[in-house]
Amino acid sequence: MTMTTSSLPSRFAWLDKGFWQTTPGPFRVGAIILIAHVLFAIAGAFWTPYGFAEMGAGLPLSGASLQHPMGLDQIGRDVFSRFMYGAHIVLLLSFAGTVLGMVAGTTLGLLSGYIGGWFDEITQRIVEAMISIPFLALALVMIIAAGPALAGEPVLIVFVVALVYAPRIARIARAAAMEIATREYVAVAELRGEGTWSIVFREILLNAANVLLVEFSLRLSYAPILIGALGFLGFGIRPPTPEWGLMISENRNLLIASPVTVFGPGLGLASLVIGFNLFTDGLSRMLGQRSVAGA
Amino acid sequence: MKKLIEVRNLNIAYAGPSGWTNVVQDVSFEIARGEAFGLVGESGCGKSTVAYRLLGYGTINSFVQTGEVLFDGVDLLKLGPASLTRLRGNRIALVPQNPTTSLSPGMRVGPQIREMIATHKALPDDTTMERRIVELFALVGLPDVGHRYPHELSGGQQQRVTIAMAVACNPDLLVLDEPTTGLDVTTQRQIIQLLSDLRARIGMAMLYVTHDLALLAQIADRVGVMYAGQLVEVAASDKLLSAPAHPYSRGLIASIPTMDGTDRQTRGLRGVLRRDQMSTGCKFEPRCDFATTACRTTPQALELIADARSVACMRWRDAATQQLPAVVAGPHGRTAARSERLLSVADLSLSYQRPSIVDKFLGRTTHSVVRDIDLELRAGEVVALVGESGSGKSTIARAISGRLPPRSGAITLEDGPLSPALDGRSAEHLRQIQYIFQNPDASLNPRSSIRSILERPLKHFGIPADGKTLETVLESVGLHAGYLDRIPDQLSGGERQRIAIARALLVNPKLLICDEILSALDVSVQARIVELLRSLKEKHDVAMLFISHDLAVVQQLADRVAVLYHGELMQMSETASLLTAPLHPYTEMLLEAAPSLRKDGHVSRPPATPTLKATPGIGCPFAGRCPRQPGSLCADTRPPIQETGSGFVRCHLPIDGLGRHARSPQHMRSPAVEDMRLQSL
Amino acid sequence: MSVARLLFSRILFSALTLLLVSILIFLILEALPGDVATRILGRDATAKALEVLRSQLHLNQPALVRYFQWIGDFLRGDLGVSIATGRPIADVLAPRILNTLLLSLLAFAIYLVLALVPAIIQAVNRGKAVDNVISVITLLLLSLPDFLLATMLLFLFAVAVPILPALATISETSTWQETLRAMVLPAVTLAIMMAVYAIRVLRDSLIEVLRSDYVRLAELKGLRPRAVLFRHALPNAIVPALNVTALNLGFLIGGVVIVERVFSYPGFGTLLIDALQLRDIPLIKATVMISAAVYVAANLVADVLAVLLQPRLRTSR
Repeated sequence: MTMTTSSLPSRFAWLDKGFWQTTPGPFRVGAIILIAHVLFAIAGAFWTPYGFAEMGAGLPLSGASLQHPMGLDQIGRDVFSRFMYGAHIVLLLSFAGTVLGMVAGTTLGLLSGYIGGWFDEITQRIVEAMISIPFLALALVMIIAAGPALAGEPVLIVFVVALVYAPRIARIARAAAMEIATREYVAVAELRGEGTWSIVFREILLNAANVLLVEFSLRLSYAPILIGALGFLGFGIRPPTPEWGLMISENRNLLIASPVTVFGPGLGLASLVIGFNLFTDGLSRMLGQRSVAGA
Repeated sequence: MKKLIEVRNLNIAYAGPSGWTNVVQDVSFEIARGEAFGLVGESGCGKSTVAYRLLGYGTINSFVQTGEVLFDGVDLLKLGPASLTRLRGNRIALVPQNPTTSLSPGMRVGPQIREMIATHKALPDDTTMERRIVELFALVGLPDVGHRYPHELSGGQQQRVTIAMAVACNPDLLVLDEPTTGLDVTTQRQIIQLLSDLRARIGMAMLYVTHDLALLAQIADRVGVMYAGQLVEVAASDKLLSAPAHPYSRGLIASIPTMDGTDRQTRGLRGVLRRDQMSTGCKFEPRCDFATTACRTTPQALELIADARSVACMRWRDAATQQLPAVVAGPHGRTAARSERLLSVADLSLSYQRPSIVDKFLGRTTHSVVRDIDLELRAGEVVALVGESGSGKSTIARAISGRLPPRSGAITLEDGPLSPALDGRSAEHLRQIQYIFQNPDASLNPRSSIRSILERPLKHFGIPADGKTLETVLESVGLHAGYLDRIPDQLSGGERQRIAIARALLVNPKLLICDEILSALDVSVQARIVELLRSLKEKHDVAMLFISHDLAVVQQLADRVAVLYHGELMQMSETASLLTAPLHPYTEMLLEAAPSLRKDGHVSRPPATPTLKATPGIGCPFAGRCPRQPGSLCADTRPPIQETGSGFVRCHLPIDGLGRHARSPQHMRSPAVEDMRLQSL
Repeated sequence: MSVARLLFSRILFSALTLLLVSILIFLILEALPGDVATRILGRDATAKALEVLRSQLHLNQPALVRYFQWIGDFLRGDLGVSIATGRPIADVLAPRILNTLLLSLLAFAIYLVLALVPAIIQAVNRGKAVDNVISVITLLLLSLPDFLLATMLLFLFAVAVPILPALATISETSTWQETLRAMVLPAVTLAIMMAVYAIRVLRDSLIEVLRSDYVRLAELKGLRPRAVLFRHALPNAIVPALNVTALNLGFLIGGVVIVERVFSYPGFGTLLIDALQLRDIPLIKATVMISAAVYVAANLVADVLAVLLQPRLRTSR
């Protein structure tokens, strides 16, 4: 007998042509916004009208014009070029940080939820303690603790995002695992004498996938805000690399003279998050999950 | 008789992902003042949808296409919200299906009744609100529980509260939506008894919705049978049950397991109700034994065939005369089990709480849920474990399977002892005992195909298999190879349970533990799974520990029966002798409570000493509820084990005194006060 | 379990959590590999300056001793001395905490209104146009970074239509009218940021409760819609929103950092940023500990309220 796993009709439903028509509206709008952002980011990584750190691209502090749709900053850099170049940085940092947090949080949460007992008790207390520190404070403290050598490095930002997210994701994964562990198919596997890893990955992970996917999407939505906030407070990526939060804080003095210089990158950031949120909203509706708010 | 409410040509559709579905089609019936009308059908037939429309209520995604619901000449479907509010609760009241979720969880039950009386200004002039509420509680056989929260009451008590609430404003019509589903047999009978009693006193009409025909036999004057949104037969309940005309009614009645011991000459229903497989003609055609090609294209409507009796079937005459070969054989296919012992359980005591360090230090003992169980299974034998919910049936099964290490006692399989904990058991032991769970929805991994669900145990135990293995096992449970590539969501409940059985059989076990495996299924499906288990028992020579709360099913399957009450074995006996001579008072009570298909006017006997409380672990746990107990002896002395011909009885009453007046007509007319197992705050 | 016993065990767990928080903070700030003094002063610091700092922070002692010293002092109310200013941390913190407390109270009051009203309107009119419009608005607001929302409000009400002060600078000499006017914009920003989460949760839970059997029975008892909503639905729907409110208080503490920064409000948040920028480790430790304590206390209150609202929880847990 061939022991191959057969293809499952429902698991690959998203490959169907008709699938797109059945998706909820928010999902579609969100996906379009996200695709636009990805294309913009790819373009910005290779080409910008001016160099992102090029000073004197025009008259400093002059407002928006056709050459400079978002105006110029205090040292005469073209804000639109910086905005365009920053797109891929924001996307990559958000994605890398969330994925890392997701892997760590899911593994810890599923194991702790399924195994229970002392292991669960100890992980839960640590997770609880980490969540009790307001996330922005935790992120800032970790950046300070990393010291001046690492400050402003992309790797540090990725780690900080992951560390802030991991305990929160672990809590969701644990709840899902505990719920699934009471299902009888898990008992059937236990009665067969299957090992812990086999049960966690074969029986629990796939059934927690919907919850985890929505959680991932939700965390991903918030990552640009978190990274932006770090930049805005001056603890993010090291200048002159343009990160949108940093740009907003750099150009705040121009609020009266040239609002578009501040709100241009701001709205870019907001539209990315809107895209993520719409996508999450649609995804959770499709998967029958409720996206739990709360940072 | 004067019509109280009349439903005319009701058509209701539901909005779904794929457009509108007709769930109710051309339903018409009427209920006279004071009459009890029953509406029966399988799940999904639209009976509840109809019932709620009698309260002018429909969910947002449902839509009444045509029809009228005339209450005292007024069409409820055209009434505005304000007028409906005045009628609901006041003149038409509801007793909901699930009292646990239907009572407001954050509010004490007294105020929940009070707000209803206050809203409708229905307080009689000569009494106060407080007195009225106590009076209502007394009416449904409850003490004054007004200051309690819903979760502090048992399921039966909660249902009594919703009934008290429903009759608080003396309504003209009571709509009951499966009011006893989910309750124990004995509680079920008490509620039915209470409802008949109330009907006699208050004189209100009733619409009783249920899937259980045997219950309707006890309470309804007339019954309407619904199938796929249509009424297929309306008749007086005794006529319907003794001589059903529609093939569907016949099948439904034949599917009900009863204990009258007669071999009925009809057979149960095939298939399940699937709205995606409907013919344009008669909806029942795909499952009908009498169907002709004409049935497939000719829609059927209710026709009057006799006085107050109508049927929607053009072949009802043939169906009523023609006898099909009965598939159901006698109660025992093969009684003589081989003598070698397979499993034995000795002095088993179980508890979910592990004694904590503090308890150990202080020498305190925690309460065991299950005490002193001695049980033996011979190879190939079916032993049933029977009892109400919470009696510890599944707990014992958990211990045998290894999921709950016992506090004390030993479990032996063949000649070797079984390790108490799962991780101490060898793969061979794990293979030999297979467990089938109650809920087929949860026992199959929804993310796996049937093929990988079945292959996994083979791989795990290293059992060689060829291409035919899976097909053969599927065939043995009445399915075919086409199921291998489906996922559990694409299967019906009955089919999933068959897959679970197939998965257990694949590894050639010696013992199958069947934990309430029928209770989540429709009656017609239940009947077919029982048939399957009987044939498996003969073919595969596998022993079964069959856990059930349903004595009628047990009768068809088991060689021996063990009766469990509050964690202790009350009686152990061969099936036939248990049913004919129950001996133990508790067994007697269970047997009497199981409804038969005839109106039996059963009134549960009140306990002899309701205030008696057994000393935990010492006295008879049944003391306080037992109608025959001789006195306080039962509460503080351990009842002796008395050997009988085929087993034992644990009771203080002498064995020749037991069962003597087993069917004594001591039926007293008093609302029995349910034992108050009130949790402390 | 009785309420008192429940309360006791929750308090015990909260204390345990805070103990772990203190260990975590200490580990992160002082026990990571690498020299703490260099991290504070930077790589260009002179050997002498480093030595002075080491002795000031007792860095020559083992980490374990330092931890117990710190936590012992902390529990006795001695928060230590700020490196940057040389003043006792308690003196530095007190006025800032008071300012932030005022701001938070105002924000919380606005939050309650902003969260409850739209959610109830949405749930009662679920599926209708109002529901969708509010959903879109909350989703858009949810997607606005707090620093951007603050900047936008500042632009709208202090620059474009100058009716409120752009900078929320207050001092002891400010009258209460001035203080209130200064606090409006930061408080509204915080309230909006918290409310958008709560609206979504409360709407969903209210809709779920409105679909429940007991609400249906209440309707079919012939109760008036208002009674059904306020007596049966809302008290049960509010519990999940309570948990979000507790989470929101955690958010509030983080949000305060940003909002105070945008409006230059002299509160706890700006103090934390200053401490971080100056790498004033004793001050950082104290502020983070206090913010964690506030979060833990908020969750404790939410848990207890949930038990009071849901009598079921009293026995089943």
